[in-house]
Amino acid sequence: MSFLEVKNLTYTYSKNTPFFNDAVEDVSFSVEKGEILAIVGHTGSGKSTLVQHLNGLIKPTKGEILFCGQNIWNNEKNISSIRSKIGLVFQYPEYQLFEETVFKDIAFGPKNLGFSEQEINESVLNSAKLVGISQEYFNKSPFDLSGGEKRRVAIAGVLAMKPQVIIFDEPTAGLDPIGRNNILNIIKNYKKEHNATVIMVTHSMEDVALLADKVLVMNNGKKAMFGTPKEIFSDRNKLLSVGLDVPLITNVLLKLNELGFNFESNIITVDEAVNAIINCKGGADNA
Amino acid sequence: MLNDFTLGQYFPTNSLIHRLDPRIKLLLTLGFLILIFCATNIYALTLIIFFVVCLIFLTKIPLKMYVKNLKFILPILIFTTVINLFYTNNGNIILEFWKIKITDYAVVRSIFLSLRIVLLIIISSALTYTTSPNSITTGLESLFSPFKYIGLGRAVHTMTMMMTIALRFIPTLVEETQKIMNAQKARGVNFENGSLIQRIKAIIPILIPLLISSVKSAYDLAEAMESRCYNGGENKTNLKVLKIQKSDYLAVLFFIICCLIVFLFNIVF
Repeated sequence: MSFLEVKNLTYTYSKNTPFFNDAVEDVSFSVEKGEILAIVGHTGSGKSTLVQHLNGLIKPTKGEILFCGQNIWNNEKNISSIRSKIGLVFQYPEYQLFEETVFKDIAFGPKNLGFSEQEINESVLNSAKLVGISQEYFNKSPFDLSGGEKRRVAIAGVLAMKPQVIIFDEPTAGLDPIGRNNILNIIKNYKKEHNATVIMVTHSMEDVALLADKVLVMNNGKKAMFGTPKEIFSDRNKLLSVGLDVPLITNVLLKLNELGFNFESNIITVDEAVNAIINCKGGADNA
Repeated sequence: MLNDFTLGQYFPTNSLIHRLDPRIKLLLTLGFLILIFCATNIYALTLIIFFVVCLIFLTKIPLKMYVKNLKFILPILIFTTVINLFYTNNGNIILEFWKIKITDYAVVRSIFLSLRIVLLIIISSALTYTTSPNSITTGLESLFSPFKYIGLGRAVHTMTMMMTIALRFIPTLVEETQKIMNAQKARGVNFENGSLIQRIKAIIPILIPLLISSVKSAYDLAEAMESRCYNGGENKTNLKVLKIQKSDYLAVLFFIICCLIVFLFNIVF
């Protein structure tokens, strides 16, 4: 039994109108506890629609979503309890901020879930620390913060609910490199602290190579590929055919191979590449 | 919930009605709305109902879409019908209890009124279903263009630009609302259950982000327009130039015939 499993999920937008559109078509995959799953695909490939199914925001037209073996729509009245176990951080989550102070905004989720006063305090402190928002911010208005800070506060608001599965929809969109690294570290740290499952929608193949245990490639609402990053990135032609590419560093090594070098094709991060190049150079010196 | 919101939504089926000039459609809609209230007896009204049924078929838009719009005004419809039952004292009393009297004339009047409201909604939905918001505003601008001879050209343009923008942003706002709602649902807000006060309170987390993002997009839009040299529309031309065609004349002719028959029925019966 998988921790979270999606079976033959299909979703049709605006059914029975001229605007109808299969946003997601017959997608199946599963993810285990403590794993990071990356979902990639070009714009409009159905990624965002897919992830909104996972915590019951959208009801599938066909197919089912099993969380710990239970169909999440079995008990429709209980769907909000699923949302507390499977957290979803939307694209540009800073637009969901509304409270007067940062503290209140982070505490909003836990409060809705009926945490006690003490639990709320504790989880707000924890998640604020995790995202690097210090306590002096707590009494500020969230609207006075910078873009990156707003996003971290918004993420803290979801983390404070202590979900077992957390979904990020393009968490690094529109951030500068430092902001991006911050967010990626937050994801890693939350996963480590809570042994949580992370599902991340992203456009950055570098992030996929660095973080993901599994990759789901979407194309036109259908599952195009599913596997480990190394498996996925070893088939560059297929990735190109769905409008994606391998990480930049893999491309560099492929080009070097064309020039007569002989690097392995499963190198996907800069660190791996550095090692491979050093070894190669060492080999050349010895020769 | 928000997906059901269709009032003012363009429904492209490329029918004969879709291809009519928006100016003609606007004028004819207005004409038909007036005509509905000119039809004073049941024969004239039946005739109009027949025309409207023809119209529904001509637009090639599923009947379901019209019914959906009618559902929105059902409470108002019932309310006005019932109120009218009690507020007419002429005619023969057919039902009497306590202080309330219902006369046969009142029943007829209520039926007339509700039929008229239904027809009003169907005709105006037909207009918005078959005409894209942009053509409606281009049509309006063109219809109001004589005002420029009395120095109101700028005002007319500003008004139509405001309308275009407002219409343009309805779907965006609906989408935005849906997004924010989902984001807050993911944070444990429950919009479906709970007491009335709890549900009203649940609106605040939607309203505030929505307001903020609307103000922000208003600024963005203004800047985008200015950086493309928008300066208030003096001598601005339209991308699509409206042209009256044969089918438009036919539509006008059809309407005039309708009018004549309705007035004829009014006099004869």
